[in-house]
Amino acid sequence: MAAKSSRKQQPISRRSLLKAGLGSAGLAGAAALGLSVDPSGTTSAHEAHAQPGHPLHLMPTVVGEVDHVRNGFNPTEILTDFDMGKLSTMPSGQPLREYTIAVENKEIEIVPGLRYAAWTYNGRIPGPTIRVREGDRVRIKFLNAGDHEHSIHFHGIHPGNMDGVFDAASGVVQPGGKYIYEFDAEPFGVHLYHCHTAPLAKHIAKGLYGAFIIDPKEARPRADREVVMVMSGYDVDFDGKNDFYVVNGIPFHYNHDKNPIRLKVNELVRIYLVNVLEFDPINSFHLHANFFHYYPTGTSLTPSEFTDTIALMQGQRGILEFRYKYPGRYMFHAHKTEFAELGWTGVFDVEA
Amino acid sequence: MTTTATPVPSKKSRLNTLVLLLVPVLLLAGVIALFVSTKGAGFNVTPAAPIETVQFERTILRPGQIELRLRNTSPQEISIAQVNINEATWPYTISPGRTLPRLGTADIVLNYPWVQAEAYEITVFSGDSIAFKTSIAAAATTATASVGTLWRFTLIGIYVGIIPVALGMVWLPALKRLGPRAMMFLMSATVGLLIYLGIDASTEAVELGGKLGNAFQGTGIVGIGIIGTFLLLDFFSRRQMSVGRSEAGQRMALSMMIAVGIGLHNLGEGLAIGAAYAVGAAALGTFLVVGFTIQNITEGLGIIVPILRDKPAIRSLALLGVIGGGPAIVGAWVGGLIYSQPLSVLFLAIGAGAVFQVAYEIGRQMLWKGMANRKIPLTVFAGILTGMLTLYITGLALK
Repeated sequence: MAAKSSRKQQPISRRSLLKAGLGSAGLAGAAALGLSVDPSGTTSAHEAHAQPGHPLHLMPTVVGEVDHVRNGFNPTEILTDFDMGKLSTMPSGQPLREYTIAVENKEIEIVPGLRYAAWTYNGRIPGPTIRVREGDRVRIKFLNAGDHEHSIHFHGIHPGNMDGVFDAASGVVQPGGKYIYEFDAEPFGVHLYHCHTAPLAKHIAKGLYGAFIIDPKEARPRADREVVMVMSGYDVDFDGKNDFYVVNGIPFHYNHDKNPIRLKVNELVRIYLVNVLEFDPINSFHLHANFFHYYPTGTSLTPSEFTDTIALMQGQRGILEFRYKYPGRYMFHAHKTEFAELGWTGVFDVEA
Repeated sequence: MTTTATPVPSKKSRLNTLVLLLVPVLLLAGVIALFVSTKGAGFNVTPAAPIETVQFERTILRPGQIELRLRNTSPQEISIAQVNINEATWPYTISPGRTLPRLGTADIVLNYPWVQAEAYEITVFSGDSIAFKTSIAAAATTATASVGTLWRFTLIGIYVGIIPVALGMVWLPALKRLGPRAMMFLMSATVGLLIYLGIDASTEAVELGGKLGNAFQGTGIVGIGIIGTFLLLDFFSRRQMSVGRSEAGQRMALSMMIAVGIGLHNLGEGLAIGAAYAVGAAALGTFLVVGFTIQNITEGLGIIVPILRDKPAIRSLALLGVIGGGPAIVGAWVGGLIYSQPLSVLFLAIGAGAVFQVAYEIGRQMLWKGMANRKIPLTVFAGILTGMLTLYITGLALK
């Protein structure tokens, strides 16, 4: 019964989401004109979802929408933006994947109206999702266009001089300098990369991190939807505590009143999940009204757990696989309420 | 003929005077223009990060809703981006708009299901990612102006001002029996009392003034309040004394001055209590009421000391009581219903200036006169110290 009624609502939900988007643009305009800004304008979308006489109750969210164009990236696109690099074959016959990654200082509107002086890989947070195959040769041309020392430290198996930690010889690059990181991709799984220059907490907190996926030689079973989610946070007032928590760069981006992720019933969904959150020891992921198979670090093709909640410390990551049985709107969020209510919350909008 | 020696100012010479007065001003404008156009002595005068400060002027709690009034006290305009409350990013409305001009205000409304008596911390983020924090110590619905609340604030004012002052005056018959030395002791104790209240009020004013944004120059407000009130009351009291009254008349006038001073001081106290109720610290409010009521009984005593030897009419006594205690009612209204921090600072400073002036006045009129006849002002010393210690000890027990 519930399923049926919610299926009926799907077309409305799309339209009203669009309206909500326009609504928030209107809000920003109203603000610019000095009029009273009313975020309840976006609740028209909620009301369309809710049963008559049952308006959606207030939930944490940001007021308005960030300017993705000016930011130069959109978390909706980051979900599926896998960068396979420039593929060629080495004389030995080994596949070579080449990338160029540059650090640049960039002001990013992380929540509507708030500009944060970030450090980025290729102008976005998280940096590009590097996706290669086990055994590929990976060659990354790294440019430092920032004004501090930076590096890329990959998680994976590689020689010490490709680790990006100690000095120029191991890939720490002065402003204006460059370095070429080159190694064979192993082991398969979901990994991460991040800057590893001191003070490290600052370099990570300001945005220098990204996902690094190594597919197994024998590809995983085909999934209908593959997405990447990088969990982090922002300490905008530099007090060593996060003010906002986030998945894929913009807090609340996938929230019910913003840009929920659309899925279909019975689709196999695979999430490459990475936690790089600075300052807080533990992050987590909880899926509503469903269970998922969990592959820690993605280094095995056999799941270790069937659950709906996992905890990850900084640097921990894994692969989640699930299908939705019923249509509807389902939250996914950190199961640490503070993180969830400060931005690390999203919604899957599942259609029949 | 000496008069011809002074030249009659002609229209032309007046114009010259004006020009001469303007020359330094024009030169100053030139120097400023030079400094600004040369980017200030070669230093990079633009700050590394924007200087942004705001003042949370008041917090109003209604069932399911929190309203904050914000004033931009930065050197330039600021914009408000988002609001976090107790570890949650919360939807809000802001009027008249997100952008606040210098010294402009905005009202932020959060529809938030707050819980009675619990604490909340609210962080407002500016567009330049500056975090402004304010907190609610114990949430409770804010009193709004209605017949009921007005009456309740009036009652509080009566408890804090009128009743203790009147009770203090009931000591009159008992004190009439005292000798001149005891009289001088009491008078000195009154001075001590007033000095203590003055120090207390000025400290509080400076403390509260420090919380105002830079633009408001809290300490400046305190200075203006204290010095202005002191000089104004001094002017009035000198005029009163110079009208050639009888000795008894002069003593009554002194009592009146003391009542005015204490009254102005009680205005500040009423304000503090009203504000404590208004910002949801009702428990604090009750505590303040009891504390002030007990302390203020000594104020009534202070008012009647100059007229102990006389036979004042009940009507005069009632008037003294109303002047000394009544302003607490007005203070409670203002503090409870239209709470404003700059105004509170000013009122506290006025109260401080008033009690300082009255202490000075008593000293000038009674003590110095009396002391001229005695060799050792030990009574005065003991009295002043006793007055101060009395308030210190009651405060110790109550604060």
